[in-house]
Amino acid sequence: MNNSDKRYDFRAVRNINYIFWIMLLIMGLFVIRLFYVQVIKYDYYKKSALKGQLQQSRIPATRGLIEAHQGNQIIPFVLNQQLFTLYADPFLVKNSQSASEKLVSILGGTLSNIESKLKTPKTRYVVLAKKISQAQSDKILALKIPGIGTVGQDYRVYPQQELASQILGFVNNDGKGTYGIEQALNDELAGTPGYLKAITDINGVPLAASKNNIEIAPTDGKNIVLTLDIAIQKQVEDIIKNAAIQEKSPLVSAVVMDVNSGAVKAMANYPTYNPANYYDVTTPGVFNNAAISNAIEPGSVMKALTAAAALDQNVIQDNTTYNDPAHWIIDGFKITNIEEDGGAGVRSVEDVLNLSLNTGATWMLMQMGGGQVNQKARQAWYDYETNHFKLGSSTGIEQGYDSPGVVPRPNIPNQSGDQQDLTYANTSFGQGLTVTAVQMASALSSIVNGGKYYRPYLSDGIIDAQGNIKYNKPKIIDTNVVTSKTSKSMVSLLQQVVTKHFQAGFSYLNFPSNYIVGGKTGTAQVANPKGGYMDHEYNGTYLGFVGGDKPQYAIAIFVTTPTVNGYAGSYGAQPIFGSIAHMLINESFVSPKGS
Amino acid sequence: MTYSNSIAVNRQNYSRKNQNAVSFRSRERVLGPVSNTIVLVVLACLLGLLYLTQVTKTNSYGSKAYSLQQQQSRLQNQYNDLEVASAQLQSLNSIQSSPVSKNLVPATPSTTINN
Repeated sequence: MNNSDKRYDFRAVRNINYIFWIMLLIMGLFVIRLFYVQVIKYDYYKKSALKGQLQQSRIPATRGLIEAHQGNQIIPFVLNQQLFTLYADPFLVKNSQSASEKLVSILGGTLSNIESKLKTPKTRYVVLAKKISQAQSDKILALKIPGIGTVGQDYRVYPQQELASQILGFVNNDGKGTYGIEQALNDELAGTPGYLKAITDINGVPLAASKNNIEIAPTDGKNIVLTLDIAIQKQVEDIIKNAAIQEKSPLVSAVVMDVNSGAVKAMANYPTYNPANYYDVTTPGVFNNAAISNAIEPGSVMKALTAAAALDQNVIQDNTTYNDPAHWIIDGFKITNIEEDGGAGVRSVEDVLNLSLNTGATWMLMQMGGGQVNQKARQAWYDYETNHFKLGSSTGIEQGYDSPGVVPRPNIPNQSGDQQDLTYANTSFGQGLTVTAVQMASALSSIVNGGKYYRPYLSDGIIDAQGNIKYNKPKIIDTNVVTSKTSKSMVSLLQQVVTKHFQAGFSYLNFPSNYIVGGKTGTAQVANPKGGYMDHEYNGTYLGFVGGDKPQYAIAIFVTTPTVNGYAGSYGAQPIFGSIAHMLINESFVSPKGS
Repeated sequence: MTYSNSIAVNRQNYSRKNQNAVSFRSRERVLGPVSNTIVLVVLACLLGLLYLTQVTKTNSYGSKAYSLQQQQSRLQNQYNDLEVASAQLQSLNSIQSSPVSKNLVPATPSTTINN
């Protein structure tokens, strides 16, 4: 090997060394960079990568259905349906006329309406139609019109339309139950939403082979069966609607309750609304279930409770008579009766209820105090009002707002007896306290069923996924509201009131002998918001029962300021009671005697 | 030194010492480091391929499952639509306003039947 060859070899080796070191340097840089990217900045890049690939979404739970009884069947009352909103981005719609024609051919409606929406300037989003069906949505999407799309949304559907709307309430745009049972049982109905966290492909389809995927299935809401019987409910609604129109009453409420369980079979108010179109309602007051939320002074129906309390305390008997002076002076104020009741005379307990004697109710209160309205009488009556009949507190029924009403206390601080006796005398005939229709129906139920106070309820049970119903047991709150002797006396006394009213000319109170029907009217003065009472406005109320061998249904009717030729109770509320009682008997909802 | 060079060197050693001797050494086939590396790389590639096919397959199942879920959802919606239609047809208002109902003769008793 000569020198030149040696030099050549040396240079080659040196060049190879240079290349080696350069390569090593480059490799080193790569390694350092990779170490920086993969180790030091691991979290940052992982998050960045997942941001594009990882989809996190809430899986909505299906809201529970609401069903109700129709005879022996359970039928759907409130259902769910996915409907679609059709929207457009006017900026992307190039040929609005052609697009409109295609859309109208599927949706119907007027061409100009849709076309004008598609031409809306300065907006990227315009709603073309709401609540379109899935089939319509599919057809529209198949047209592949640029800028036109649909988005699905779950809606509550009410096949029975406005029936029992105020009991049901509605679900607002946020998916929250509002008013009625939707509000009261929102947690049970709503269920628990699920959660999806998944690496997805470009179309948003979750990739199954990702260890980061998390899918928690939603727990659907429970299906609830109401105690309502749809057939009774429908007819009660029709009856009170007709009455409200005839009597020009701004508000009529009715409750039909099973006296032996507290189950509400019908509960209705008029005016009402269609919950499917709740957003069209202009007077929000119509959302309230007045039978539960509207506490008013009940008037003379209260005398049934006063009589029950006095009988139960054994301070009077059902055949007791007394000398009625036609008026009492209490706290300097005169308590009188209506003119038709005549003047002073010997009166019986039956007369007190039949003639609706204010002086008679006051006399009963006096007997609770040993002969006069005093602290003892007030305390005893207050005990019955609040502890026995549960007035002055919410019933616990499954509704959005359950008004407690107001019962004046027997001892008002700083008043030291001044006018307290008068206040309490007034409460004995249903003035000076407020109650709801459902409170009165519950109280009457406890009086005529032997003395058991059942919590009034609307939720009859829960349907599981297999369609089996787990019924709620009626809840007994109190077993000693009145004795069975008092109960029997009250059933008899209230029956006599109906009989006497029939004999007095109310021909519609003619009931067959194999049924028992009892009740009491009430005409109440209407409180003036400025103080005192309105001059010529009265509310009509009725509290009664219907049954066979024993009372089966309690019925409470509240009619606000009816325009009738007579007392609001007798001519406004009593006909409604009569119609409902006849309907229950005629359509075999009531078991006759001996059955 | 490459694999072929190493064989050549071995042969040179034999030719120097025992040129006429007959080689009795059995011909063992041993993979050298390069072949080993190539085989390992190929195996790694195969494993990678296997992994990719499995992942793709699993993801395609995921896609199928998603598609089935979508279909199930659509069918559930259709079922709900039918249920709603059925309930609406059976509702008291529909029955009341049906032609059959309208042709019925009113027979509401004015008072309760005495039986």
